Amino acid sequence: MAKTLLCACEDVTVDDVRRAFQLGFRDLESVKRYTGLGTGPCQGKTCLAVATREMLRLGATPGEVAPFTVRPPLHPTPIGALASIDPSGLPIEGGIPPPPPPGTAPRPPGPLPARARVVIIGGGIMGLGLAYNLCRRGETDVVLLERGYLNSGASGRNGGGVRAQWTTPTMIRLARRSLEIGESFAAEMGINVWFRRGGYLFLAPTREQAERIEQNARLHAQNGLRTRVITPAEAAEVVPELDRSRFLAASWNPDDAVVFPWPYVWGYASRAGALGTKVLTFTRVTGFETSGRRIAAVVTDRGRIASDVVVNACGAWSRDVAALAGVKLPNEPVRHEILVTEPLKPWLGPMVSVLGSGLYFSQSLRGEIVGGMGDPEEPVGLDTRSTLRFLARFSRAISECIPMTAGLRVMRQWAGCYDVTPDNNPILGAAGFDNFLQLSGFVGHGFMMAPAVTELMAGWMAGDPPDEIFERFTLDRFARGTVSREDFIIG
Amino acid sequence: MARLSDPRFAPDCEIVVDGRRLPARSGESVTSALLAAGRPIVSRSAKYHRPRGPFCLSGSCASCLVRVDGAPNVKACETPCRDGLEVETQNAVGGASHDLLGAIDLLAPGGIDHHHVGTWSQIASRVAVGTSRLLAGLGRLPDRAPGAWPAATEDRFDAMVVGAGPAGLAAAEALARAGLRVYLADRERAPGGRLRCRLDLPGDPPLAWANEVTEAVRRAGGELAARAAAIGLWRDGEVPLAAVSERGNGPRMRLVRAPRAVLAGGTWAQPPVFAGNDLPGIHGARGLLVALAEDGVVPGERAAVLGEGAEAEAAAARLAAAGMAVEHVRVEVARARGGRRLAALDLADGRRVRCDTLAVATPRMPAAELAREAGATLELDPATGAFRVRPGEAGAIAPGVFAAGELTGPCSAAEAVEAGRRAGEAAARG
Repeated sequence: MAKTLLCACEDVTVDDVRRAFQLGFRDLESVKRYTGLGTGPCQGKTCLAVATREMLRLGATPGEVAPFTVRPPLHPTPIGALASIDPSGLPIEGGIPPPPPPGTAPRPPGPLPARARVVIIGGGIMGLGLAYNLCRRGETDVVLLERGYLNSGASGRNGGGVRAQWTTPTMIRLARRSLEIGESFAAEMGINVWFRRGGYLFLAPTREQAERIEQNARLHAQNGLRTRVITPAEAAEVVPELDRSRFLAASWNPDDAVVFPWPYVWGYASRAGALGTKVLTFTRVTGFETSGRRIAAVVTDRGRIASDVVVNACGAWSRDVAALAGVKLPNEPVRHEILVTEPLKPWLGPMVSVLGSGLYFSQSLRGEIVGGMGDPEEPVGLDTRSTLRFLARFSRAISECIPMTAGLRVMRQWAGCYDVTPDNNPILGAAGFDNFLQLSGFVGHGFMMAPAVTELMAGWMAGDPPDEIFERFTLDRFARGTVSREDFIIG
Repeated sequence: MARLSDPRFAPDCEIVVDGRRLPARSGESVTSALLAAGRPIVSRSAKYHRPRGPFCLSGSCASCLVRVDGAPNVKACETPCRDGLEVETQNAVGGASHDLLGAIDLLAPGGIDHHHVGTWSQIASRVAVGTSRLLAGLGRLPDRAPGAWPAATEDRFDAMVVGAGPAGLAAAEALARAGLRVYLADRERAPGGRLRCRLDLPGDPPLAWANEVTEAVRRAGGELAARAAAIGLWRDGEVPLAAVSERGNGPRMRLVRAPRAVLAGGTWAQPPVFAGNDLPGIHGARGLLVALAEDGVVPGERAAVLGEGAEAEAAAARLAAAGMAVEHVRVEVARARGGRRLAALDLADGRRVRCDTLAVATPRMPAAELAREAGATLELDPATGAFRVRPGEAGAIAPGVFAAGELTGPCSAAEAVEAGRRAGEAAARG
């Protein structure tokens, strides 16, 4: 009984906040994510002020205690109620929250290192995974620049799915390696990522989609996956609550998995840091100094860093960062929205996805349903605001798929951006300058690909013979016309 | 004594809690019935299985989630009683009072670092994942798919006012006086906000004024929606668009578009900070006083009151007048003691105050969320850690959107009325 509770929803104690602060999670968004405070059914109404007061006492600056973002719905609201809203008349533009006022981000103290052999821009899982793998390969003179807090981008906003069910041998190979890494991540990296092989169940509502999953399953079999095309009755053995009348067949792979994304990012960051990488958050790249065919230095809002190699791993921001060097990338950011319900006892084993609508959802280890759905009318743009239209569209889709979900309450919605390329495949390797390497364009599946891809990329940078992905996924494929489109993008 | 012996408060029905029948009054909240029955435990907490009871008693804190008629994670404080209502406690093995998993709390007095448990080997981490999944979650899946909600209605008003406390009522009155159709929404079952505590502090308008305003709003073609929670404030083009979850006349969603909005959502109850601060029996003072005033609930025999100022003084007097032995605690609390319910407070000066109920009347946190969604500027009060809305002229925070009352910082009800009136008049002009 000696515990002092700071967040009663999630049983977060005052000591938990102190420990997080000591570990370097100094801003409130990071403390929220590391401790879980404010992520329960009350959504911070009962802990935000107490947490802020405690952090001020610990020495946080006013910028560090900027309150975490307000997320609708402000009160847990049943999916059935949200599904009663007609989304067709609701705006897709804009949303909540409005952009934060400039100058409110924390200002880290101290000078930047004057030079580093490798500067990685972007503190998502791609950049951090690469930093870690470079260090493991002996390249420890690495500086990583992140403009916000860790997990502020798509790596902290995705649904945590890791699946091998792809449509090309390359993607299947990468995803399988990522699954392997995920399985041993907790023991190797010393932090739980709650990797759980609950399987992936793709539902095919039309004849055409049913044929497509048959074709995929044959490819999967050739590549050693256990994917099976199953009937609605068999799918109902996996998820008894499914409305079987809504699909003709399903693609089932029991080996696919879900993880909890945030600790994955922290795990890479802390190991990379321990091995030598300097991970600098709240540090924004503002330009580059170039010299002939090389980038000489990266310029930030805190000073410049001279560098031999610069890696652009900025996800949906990659195009804008490359543009600072005058390099034109074809990537386009496209918002994808997502939400989470109140936690329930475990009932849903797999990640479920409906082909066509792009609906996907799974049950997190904390018991919440986490799910999203793309919107075909979504315009291109860097937008992470949340719309009422999404709440209505998602709620209609999930309650048609599983009528029981109408009784679950939505707790919080948010949005992230996919980093979309013309052929839905990544862009890897040098672009514009000999030492300006791209690691971007993963179209919503960067999180699941990163463990495998960053391992290969670090090897390639360390002099290993190049994997085929560094020959296939170059920027100049678009000019050469050697493009093959990946079409199993979900969300 | 669990209720005031006024015939108005006599139970007229029974609800069923974990299979046992409890007397209740039709329409009162399930938490009122539980407190009147001396049963402040409703569940066990998410991670450590600590006893959980309702804290705020007004829909903000989520410490009172129960299963109601087969639906999980329902706030007991927002659920009206009716005869035969089935309530089950959650997240406990063998009932919330004697949950076997309560051992987790005792075995881990310093807490469990879930980020690192089991990470010493792949097998251990797999066990950690499996065990955690089994233990996670609060309620169980619903017994059955709920019936379809009626289609959400879409309405246009001249103005919307969120919150029907002193500020919101005054704003709605000013808008109605200007001949505008007003949608006045309040999360609670009745308008009045903090006036429902019946503390009658100097300058407080009488609670009957809430009914006068409601009438004035209706005469001008507007409406009051009680049990109506605004879940977000978007814009459709330039026009503010609120999605409101209404539970007053059967659940339904309302989308309300109005060119003017006054946000007057008041504050959220804040827990005290000391060891054992989550024990059942610790409540926000305002929620407790409303339960006392409207349902005659006397939550125990000995109450302590925490907090300074006129509201805390008046709260102590009200609880004493209801027959409780009351101690107004004016020094720091070191820790709360008790097993499944608060039994005593250990004070920093070494004294121990025996009590089964603590009414927390310390500063509350401005309910700034909707205003933040509209783009309001915030200001930190370092003493409380709370952020309040810092509005411009007459409460303006964004085009067509105003804020008034306690979400702009501590103020008396009389001051809130004045700010609400100014915001309402400015909104009517704009």
